Amino acid sequence: MSVKTEIDPFRPAKIYFYSSLFWLGAGLTYGLILSLKFIWPNFLAYGPLQIILQYGRIRPIHTNIVLFGWLTMANVGALFYIIPKLCRNRLSFPRLAYGSAFIWNAVVFAGTVVLTLGYTTTTEYAEWPLWIDIIVVLMFGAIAFICFATIANRNEKQLYVSLWYFMGSLIWLIGLYIIGNLPYKMLSGVPQFLIFWFYGHNVIGLWFTTVGVGILYYLLPLLTKNPLYSHKLSLIGFWTIATFYVWNGPHHLQNGPIPLWLMKAGVIPSVMLIIPVWSVLANVFGTLKGKWHAVPHNVPLMFVVVGSIFYLITCLQGPFHSLQGPSSVIKFSDWVPGHAHLPLFGAFSFIAFAMMYYAIPKIIDHDIHSKKLMGAHFWFSVVGMFLFAFSTWTAGVLEGLAWIEGAQYGMQFVEMLVGMRPLFIIRAIAGALMLVGQMIFVVNLAVTIGKARNAQKGQENSA
Amino acid sequence: MSDSADERSMLPYIIGATVLFFLGVFGTTYLPFFDDQMQAPNENAEIRNYSLDSAEYRGREVYIREGCHTCHTMYVRPVLADSSLGPISQPSDYYYEAPAMLGSKRTGADLMWVGNRWNEDWHREHLLNPQKMLPGSIMPRYDYLSDEDLENLVAYLMSLKPSPQSEGRPVD
Ligand code: HEC
Repeated sequence: MSVKTEIDPFRPAKIYFYSSLFWLGAGLTYGLILSLKFIWPNFLAYGPLQIILQYGRIRPIHTNIVLFGWLTMANVGALFYIIPKLCRNRLSFPRLAYGSAFIWNAVVFAGTVVLTLGYTTTTEYAEWPLWIDIIVVLMFGAIAFICFATIANRNEKQLYVSLWYFMGSLIWLIGLYIIGNLPYKMLSGVPQFLIFWFYGHNVIGLWFTTVGVGILYYLLPLLTKNPLYSHKLSLIGFWTIATFYVWNGPHHLQNGPIPLWLMKAGVIPSVMLIIPVWSVLANVFGTLKGKWHAVPHNVPLMFVVVGSIFYLITCLQGPFHSLQGPSSVIKFSDWVPGHAHLPLFGAFSFIAFAMMYYAIPKIIDHDIHSKKLMGAHFWFSVVGMFLFAFSTWTAGVLEGLAWIEGAQYGMQFVEMLVGMRPLFIIRAIAGALMLVGQMIFVVNLAVTIGKARNAQKGQENSA
Repeated sequence: MSDSADERSMLPYIIGATVLFFLGVFGTTYLPFFDDQMQAPNENAEIRNYSLDSAEYRGREVYIREGCHTCHTMYVRPVLADSSLGPISQPSDYYYEAPAMLGSKRTGADLMWVGNRWNEDWHREHLLNPQKMLPGSIMPRYDYLSDEDLENLVAYLMSLKPSPQSEGRPVD
């Protein structure tokens, strides 16, 4: 029995990973329901479901679950795995880390219930009410504390690139979450709306992006078995994203009721963001040199490569939208959700998938059950993402042009919508493909975990 | 060699990340409060500064609860795509608006000045069954709202009119 005293040091990472899988399924299911409501507005509008699944109520549920249930939990799992690896030590405060996962699940669940009941702050991606926000900030504080303590107690002198990104992300996340969730009756008007978009933009750019890039820098050398192409480039990338990203909120009010100086202050840094994304891409392609032949045989690597290409496309689109001209056509249209899914699903969820495919076998000491299913997960996700992007971008441009021709309200607006129906159908198909892909992912991992448990039991019995 | 010495300390990253972050916070979230245009309400803002016991105020709460803002903007820009929506929005129009619901997605039409477009009866019928008023609409039916909520919501929508002061304002 003495063997059992050693607890698994990766238990916290594991529980965050496993929980995130549940939210991935739930979040994408909500997304699929939303996309079907674009085709049949009365879809599932029976009895109490009419209210519980009413579009206006579940749209924030979809975004909050995928952002904070799925991707944030996957990211924290990755932090709890990678940081001790890079520091060559153990995670500090493992009990706190493990316990926090339960609280975090309860938070996402409570947020979902509260939004279903119609309590919302209207701030995009921060719709949860204040009492939940307070718990969230405490949780982020605890997670940051655990991570910083682990880094401070490291046995490895060098701070690898990924750690810079993680440290930055944890600081930024707490800062921006507090600013974005100030009690909403305390402020008002356009300045308040600017704060909303300061938050909405930066939670993507200074949490999901920067943790994702940190994970990417961790995985790249391991998956390719090449040393990282250039540390200098990654250093440039880190400091440019830290400098410019935070200035981007105002571009969400392009052509809007804000002073000209602020519109400019939003555009220039948006364009500068090409630098950090270029530094990441150059590092990906540089590190892959000589190893391209291995990519098609390695699903995690495929996710990383395609994910970084989606990241590049996102970051080329961003500055383009922030300009007055393009913004005047596509702003408010379906282009916008197309753009939003690109970094969050296409780039950083892909990197999280790669992370789990890499880390979970190491944690549970068992190979992934099926390579075929991994491949299926990849292709469903990629094709789903492509169709989603194609349908929303096309719909977005057509909607923008229809508005310019005067279809701005009433019957003309509806005629425009009817014309979009085929594209809405493609979007729903894309959503279904994405969801099927994730189900394959979850089943594959579940079987793997089950097999690992059985193998372990077998060992214990024979011992 | 100084390069690798830097890489050994956490401090430059912690301090650098924090300072750069707060510079951006200052520029994009704090300074705007002090811009002249944001300083004073206009007549439109006064119209929308509902007293807490008014039907319009309660209607607005219904609007928030049902998530109408996820499909509707209130944000008219000086661009062709908004040319028939009414006067261009100005910061002072939103002076009292909390939470500010300018919106980000126009799945349905912009509602900044929707009070000018239709009458009470139309709104009531439309909310109960949008497809009946405008076949092909993909707006959800709000036939589950209580009569009181529905009336308040209609009152709120009808209040979204420009003041005579904004008459001269350019519309495109
Ligand atoms: C799924 C997204 C969606 C939600 C949620 C939604 N609407 Fe709509 N709304 C639409 C669409 C699409 C139209 C255009 C077709 C029509 O008029 O029915 C529209 C049109 C309107 C119009 C008519 C605008 C005009 O002048 O043509 C009003 C008023 C309106 N909605 C109010 C509301 C209110 C109030 C709520 C919340 C209770 C709401 N909407 C929720 C999609 C939505």
